[in-house]
Amino acid sequence: MTNRRSFLTGAGAGITALGASLVSRAGAASLPEAPTHTSSATAAPLAPTGGRPYNPVVTLNGWTLPWRMKDGVKEFHLVAEPVVREFAPGMQANLWGYNGQSPGPTIEVVEGDRVRIFVTNRLPEHTSVHWHGQLLPCGMDGVTGLTQPGIQPGKTFVYEFVARHAGTFMYHPHADEMQQMAMGMMGFWVTHPKNPRQHAVDRDYVMLLSSYDIEPGSYTPRTNTMLDFNLWTINSRVFPGLDPMVARLGDKVRIRVGNLTMTNHPIHLHGHRFEVAGTDGGWVPKSARWPEVTTDVAVGQMRAIEFVADAPGDWAFHCHKSHHTMNAMGHDVPTLIGVDHQGVAEKINKLVPGYMVMGDKGGSMGDMKMPLPANTLPMMSGDGPFGNLEMGGMFTVLKVREGLKRGDYGDPGWYRHPAGTVAREWTGDGAEALPPAPRAPDARPAPAPAGQAMDARKPGAKDMTGHEHH
Amino acid sequence: MASPISWHATLAVSLGLLLAGCASVTPERAFEASAAAAQARTGVDARLLRSDADRQALQAEIDTLLQAPLTQDAAVRIAALNHPGLQATYWEAGIAQADVAQAARLRNPGFGFSRMDGGGNRETERSVSIDLAGLLTMPLRQRMAARRLDETTLRVAAAIEHHVNATRRAWIEAVAARQALTYARQVADAADASSALMARMTQAGNASALDLARESAFHAEAGAGVLRADREANAAREHLTRQLGLWGKQALYKLPERLPDLPAAPAELAGIERTALSQRLDVQAARAAASGTAADLGLTRTTRFVNVLDLGYADKRETGEPKSDGYEIGLELPLFDWGGARVARAEAVYMQSLGQVAAVAVNARSEARAGYLGYRASYDVARHYRDQVIPLRKQIADETLLRYNGMLASPFELLADAREQAGAVHATIEALKDFWLAQVDLETAIGMRLPAPSPTDKKDTPQ
Ligand SMILES: [Cu+2]
Repeated sequence: MTNRRSFLTGAGAGITALGASLVSRAGAASLPEAPTHTSSATAAPLAPTGGRPYNPVVTLNGWTLPWRMKDGVKEFHLVAEPVVREFAPGMQANLWGYNGQSPGPTIEVVEGDRVRIFVTNRLPEHTSVHWHGQLLPCGMDGVTGLTQPGIQPGKTFVYEFVARHAGTFMYHPHADEMQQMAMGMMGFWVTHPKNPRQHAVDRDYVMLLSSYDIEPGSYTPRTNTMLDFNLWTINSRVFPGLDPMVARLGDKVRIRVGNLTMTNHPIHLHGHRFEVAGTDGGWVPKSARWPEVTTDVAVGQMRAIEFVADAPGDWAFHCHKSHHTMNAMGHDVPTLIGVDHQGVAEKINKLVPGYMVMGDKGGSMGDMKMPLPANTLPMMSGDGPFGNLEMGGMFTVLKVREGLKRGDYGDPGWYRHPAGTVAREWTGDGAEALPPAPRAPDARPAPAPAGQAMDARKPGAKDMTGHEHH
Repeated sequence: MASPISWHATLAVSLGLLLAGCASVTPERAFEASAAAAQARTGVDARLLRSDADRQALQAEIDTLLQAPLTQDAAVRIAALNHPGLQATYWEAGIAQADVAQAARLRNPGFGFSRMDGGGNRETERSVSIDLAGLLTMPLRQRMAARRLDETTLRVAAAIEHHVNATRRAWIEAVAARQALTYARQVADAADASSALMARMTQAGNASALDLARESAFHAEAGAGVLRADREANAAREHLTRQLGLWGKQALYKLPERLPDLPAAPAELAGIERTALSQRLDVQAARAAASGTAADLGLTRTTRFVNVLDLGYADKRETGEPKSDGYEIGLELPLFDWGGARVARAEAVYMQSLGQVAAVAVNARSEARAGYLGYRASYDVARHYRDQVIPLRKQIADETLLRYNGMLASPFELLADAREQAGAVHATIEALKDFWLAQVDLETAIGMRLPAPSPTDKKDTPQ
């Protein structure tokens, strides 16, 4: 049996959303269907078809899991299985996920709902699901060995509990955790308040941060990497593969960010001030919130930030660790800034035909489009209206526009700046018109490119005696 | 083309000369037999230099050959014609030829006249003396000289063959050493680029003195590698120069930059042992010696023939294998009706020579097999380098460059790979050299050149 629902077309970045199909994959008739999703484009919010009403969220480059109501219980069916996830056009990863994608589909319920989740294991090893942040009976907590036996391959387990409090949560395995999470097994969970007007916003985006170590030219993450990851993702997607977040001017916007990597991420939004309105512990009282432009999301944490999209434009949204807004890079590549290649480059070129000097003026590759290893994204890329964005990883754009329709999440294209509001090259009438650029006191000229080594050595004996008696 | 009957022919000619009572004194006659035998086995024409005109013509010919980089065939041609030691050997045939002629002549008769006066008597004596002993032993001397001529003919042919094959080897070694020097220089260039770049980085403040010292140390060692390779290339070239007998300006000949490519397929040889027994000059010499022994001992009445290979040769048959084809060929010598005790010594001497033929033959068969196995095995090794190792190295280089493009690898990794690649190329050159040397060894073992290789399929070793 196949059901079809129509999904929004993510017009941005040339991604076309395919219709997701609901395919019956459960063996037993009593099991609800396990829908699967074939696209890495952002699916339209899934409006509730029954039960208590709520304002559905939008999973950036992801989707929400449909459910069925059975005797007053919301029934979901998750299938843990190997998947192929597109990180960005030109790169695919062999991951483990749920129902065809990594991360798994977002589960949305309402405070007080009784929830039954079937979990079928199609992985080659046992797994379990831990409902991160939920208040539930201990035996439903999903910790292999502690609260339940592992779900063996081919088996289906059922979890059942009441979603007791509204908030933002996650789900992930608590079985062979490091391997399974390094392979991308995780998903988002939202428990909406009973009263849909409580905490209501116009646009509610959700995302999970995850990290991978995929050697250039290969497809499968190195699951034993602890720190030195080379792909930092939002919902297992990297820029320029990430869709923009879209808001109508004046919309109240919430962005919920969960961190299932092994390091913290200072999440930064341009052009706006926001407040941290919620954590995975619940909603923050209004009196306890303070304005921010960056909030750190520590390991295993959830942060829900809220703001009014009051500034039209294309605003960067990203982790502030600069190596998290890049794609795979060579961690052992030495710094070549300021290194004169004259003569040497010719020598190298004789030995390595096709050699081209790079990095001598910095890390930017500019508009060079060099052939790369298979399945490898450029370190910094993305075509913007003014050239190369030189970004990757955990980076996307918040697009605030006047007059967007409610529920329109389509990419409105690049912002058209009002005349005279874009930084421009100075072409004034001669040097006199430029204000002076005073130098810092005691400023020293930079060393000549091929001159002496910088004077950064230990102070000489003369200096030492000079300061000794002060 | 020399066949097992050639020495019969030579004997027959000698016999004819003997009957005619006079023998040729032209040294070319004997040398031409040697040259023909060598030509059949090596494909090279040897020539006797008799006059200044001959020598000048040869120098002009060599000058022409040296215009272009010296090919192996040109090297062999020059060696056979020009090598002074070899030329000296050629005259041995002339000496033996002259001896044959000399043996057919008697000393001039002597005339004596004497008168003795004493006591009133006078005695007058006239005499005519003839070298009677010479006359009586002339057939024997002639036969001995003819046999020496035969032996010398074979020995000179063997000397040509030996020198030609040694020259082929020397040429292969010299070209390979030169090629190895080129690649050693490439490694040094990579090291040079690497240390130069590191020096620039140190100047810019991006690298430390330790980094620079590490890169420079490798550079220094690569430089030593070039010096070593240079020494080896010089030594190998000088060895070839000696084989060619060149000096002065002619010693400045140019060598090709690289060894010939591997043939598309190795030569398929059937019956290599048979070829060895019929072609090898040492087998022929041993047989001629045994026949000569029989003749010397006056053994004429043959009772049967014995296959020399049966003497002390165990019949090694492997299950399912056809019987070794060595038995098909008639390496047979006559066995005589011995009769009285008077010829006991003759029998012993003759049987000894039969044993020697058998020993030489067994050796030749084994060398032919070993040569062929070595040839095939070294072909496989060289092909493995060409078809497996080098393409993989190329792929590594290409992939490393892609990683450099994406700033996933540094220029130092590119250069390190270039160094490693040169190492693989070096091993490839060695493998190719071993193949060509194995071919010469095989040709030496079977006593003939291999059929010309089919054209190479153009899978070049990289530059
Ligand atoms: Cu980060």
